[in-house]
Amino acid sequence: MAKVEAGMESMLEVYIFETNTLLEQLDEILLRTEEAGVFAEDDINEIFRIMHTIKGSSAMMGFENLQKLAHKGEDMFFVIREKPEIAKNAPFVYELIFEVSDLYKAEIEYIQTSDDDDFSPTDFSANYTKLMDATTKLKAMAAGEAVPETVAAGSEAPAKSEAPVIVGGGEGTMTVRVFFEEGCGMENLRAFLLLTKIKEEGEIISHIPADVETNAEAAKGIVDNGFIITFRGFDGNNDAVVKAIETALNVASYEIVETVTEEEAKKEEQKKAAESGAPAQKTATKPQDEAKKSSGGGQKQSLISVNLAKLDQLHDIVGEIITTESMVIANPDLEGLRLESFSKAARQLRKLTDELQDVVMSIRMVPLAGVFQKMGRIVRDMKMKLNKDAELILEGETTEVDKSIVDSLNDPLMHLVRNCMDHGIETDVNERIALGKPAKATVKLAAKHSSNEVIITVSDDGKGINCEKVLAKAIKNGMLKKPESEYTTKEIQNMILLPGFSTNEQVTEYSGRGVGMDVVKSNIEQIGGTLAVDSEEGKGTSFIIKIPLTLAIVEGMKLKVGSTIFTVPISSIKESLMVGNNKLINDTQQGEMIMIRGICYPILRLHEKFKMPTDVTDLNEGILLLVEVDDKSVCIFADRLIGEQPVVVKPFPKYLSQYNIKAEGLSGCTVMGDGTISLIIDVNSLING
Amino acid sequence: MATVNYNEKLQALLSSQSEIEAAKKDASNQEITKVLTFNIGEQVYGIEIPYVVEIIEVSPITAVPGVPEYIKGIINVRSKIVPVVNIRSRFGKPEIPFTDRTCVIHVSTGDTSVGLIVDSVADVTSVAEKHISKTPELNNINQSKFIKFILEMDDGIKLVLDVEKLIDDQIREDI
Repeated sequence: MAKVEAGMESMLEVYIFETNTLLEQLDEILLRTEEAGVFAEDDINEIFRIMHTIKGSSAMMGFENLQKLAHKGEDMFFVIREKPEIAKNAPFVYELIFEVSDLYKAEIEYIQTSDDDDFSPTDFSANYTKLMDATTKLKAMAAGEAVPETVAAGSEAPAKSEAPVIVGGGEGTMTVRVFFEEGCGMENLRAFLLLTKIKEEGEIISHIPADVETNAEAAKGIVDNGFIITFRGFDGNNDAVVKAIETALNVASYEIVETVTEEEAKKEEQKKAAESGAPAQKTATKPQDEAKKSSGGGQKQSLISVNLAKLDQLHDIVGEIITTESMVIANPDLEGLRLESFSKAARQLRKLTDELQDVVMSIRMVPLAGVFQKMGRIVRDMKMKLNKDAELILEGETTEVDKSIVDSLNDPLMHLVRNCMDHGIETDVNERIALGKPAKATVKLAAKHSSNEVIITVSDDGKGINCEKVLAKAIKNGMLKKPESEYTTKEIQNMILLPGFSTNEQVTEYSGRGVGMDVVKSNIEQIGGTLAVDSEEGKGTSFIIKIPLTLAIVEGMKLKVGSTIFTVPISSIKESLMVGNNKLINDTQQGEMIMIRGICYPILRLHEKFKMPTDVTDLNEGILLLVEVDDKSVCIFADRLIGEQPVVVKPFPKYLSQYNIKAEGLSGCTVMGDGTISLIIDVNSLING
Repeated sequence: MATVNYNEKLQALLSSQSEIEAAKKDASNQEITKVLTFNIGEQVYGIEIPYVVEIIEVSPITAVPGVPEYIKGIINVRSKIVPVVNIRSRFGKPEIPFTDRTCVIHVSTGDTSVGLIVDSVADVTSVAEKHISKTPELNNINQSKFIKFILEMDDGIKLVLDVEKLIDDQIREDI
């Protein structure tokens, strides 16, 4: 069976995106309300709106099972809305809705991944029954608990259901959309006059907006969408009515709309109904389009969804522009010329490209909040399953990172949080209390920017890593590469990131198969990041993820060594110097040092470090560059300096990622103005590596 | 006589037609893939066309430290950074100086792309089922494990490389 009807394929992506976003919102609200123990009116309305939108769009896409599921969920919340208090005594509501949300996610993933031909919608009948049972139960609770209030609610309900409900066209009816003359003003009153006129010729079944006589705000809606009237002419004579409309005052144009618009009308009404909190399920579900997102009346939408591939393209082009800009401005043809107005224009151009770069980068940046909040759900579920009391603390969730990074962080973070819950936090609360820790454990997710990196920490205050156990396991698995005694605590701790390592004797639902951590590590390395562990036994464990920011544009100093050009980030250069009168010192291990203003710096010859052939091996002939990172300094020796230039950092191609080039002290490469490639030196790993 | 001649001609034409038809029906003659052939010394190798992105002339190669000898470095192909491998040293043959005919065949397996330095590019050949003789099971021999199949054609034997293995294999090797 084909997934969607012909012609709807293009909508599928939007549907999946929208539904996933809504489900995330739903989860978030549920988590919040569960904690608070009570549903606020706004929350219920929001849940309703979400359920309703999902229901509508699922119906539009033809996913009947999903539509029905949302409908049942809506029914349940209908009861809750009448009596929010009962939710407090009905924890099963949360379980059910979470379950529904999971079912949705699974089904949507299935829709996404399955082939067109062998797609068959999952049968949710068991879940329908569950939801219906819960609804009945809730109803009973609502009725049983406080009878007088039910009466009150009962009297309120019909009033609400009076909210305009368009009863389908029916036989002999006609729907007409009328536009009034532009700028004639008071459209609502003119619409009212029109209605009076139509009443002479036929029976009005419904009209949108419904409240023209009393609501001046309706005027705007009429201007934007037209005034939609459904009527039935006396004796089936619709033409007379149309004529009446035609001749009415100020009517600029009108169109006879078919069923489609009727649906639209219903949808419009539904939207209103859902927003105003009226029992929405009383109206039939009909297609809803994207416009639905822009709730809040006539407000223009200020957000659009863009295909990520297009942004990637934009991002690449900006990188190219910056390279080309350097190519033009630093063109060898211009060397030695005095070009005043050219330099002025060039400066202006650089300013603009800088701005462009900033904007493009900011477009792709999204806050980590989305990913972080998903973890709330995991903590909640595991808390119940493992019977451990824990709370999740989020810190710096507004930190923005590149969209592609956010996407690939989801799985690793989930693994890490699970790991904290499962392995990190003590199973026995008394253990915690004995160590003077609060009974309620904490799992903390923190994010922050640091120069060119984003640092994300997942930490718990659990039992920490038992080095002895880890070492014993490593010995058992034959993973040691050097004598046991030579391993530092840090090295042992980081062993848990190796493939096939798991100290948990029992395989649980969540972890223990020994695949988790190394997958996390390789996932993070794939996006150019690093993962490290820091733990103190008895106090807790932290996993530290460092991810470089993308489209990093670095002001670089170009150096020549043999035929290769290296780029050193200017930010880490302290000074460049010739040996001159400074004293050279040889230490005991053939190491060279130089004394500059009374301080001794080691000399690192780039041609030796990178094994590049060069003619300049005499320290007096080349140039020294004093670089510093984190209070550590070194003098790097190169043939000569070429000049400074902003460079776009590109990662090494994937084929080379198997070799540890980064540990060699190179962070990436860049294409220079003349098309040759320069290698970018990572001073940090050069010094420490 | 004229009539007889025509008849004969017609006969001949028809029979040649049916031969072609028969040949078409014979699956072993049908083209199954196209192969770009290139030379390394005397030996002709091939790469299936779907893997080939383009053929480029050797541009200055930027050496990268910390990689095996056969990875010569990286080149810039229209702002994309592509690593280059010298097929000669990959197959354990001595490297020779680059000539006018030396080129880089840019191959890609979807997410990974590599440039292969070859002595010279020869031709694009259509391959039919009947040309293929399977690789002998000599997986432990360095050269043979990169060979997907061997072509026996009129103009000699051609070894078609398994690009996926060529790119992936060493990843496994190094782990």
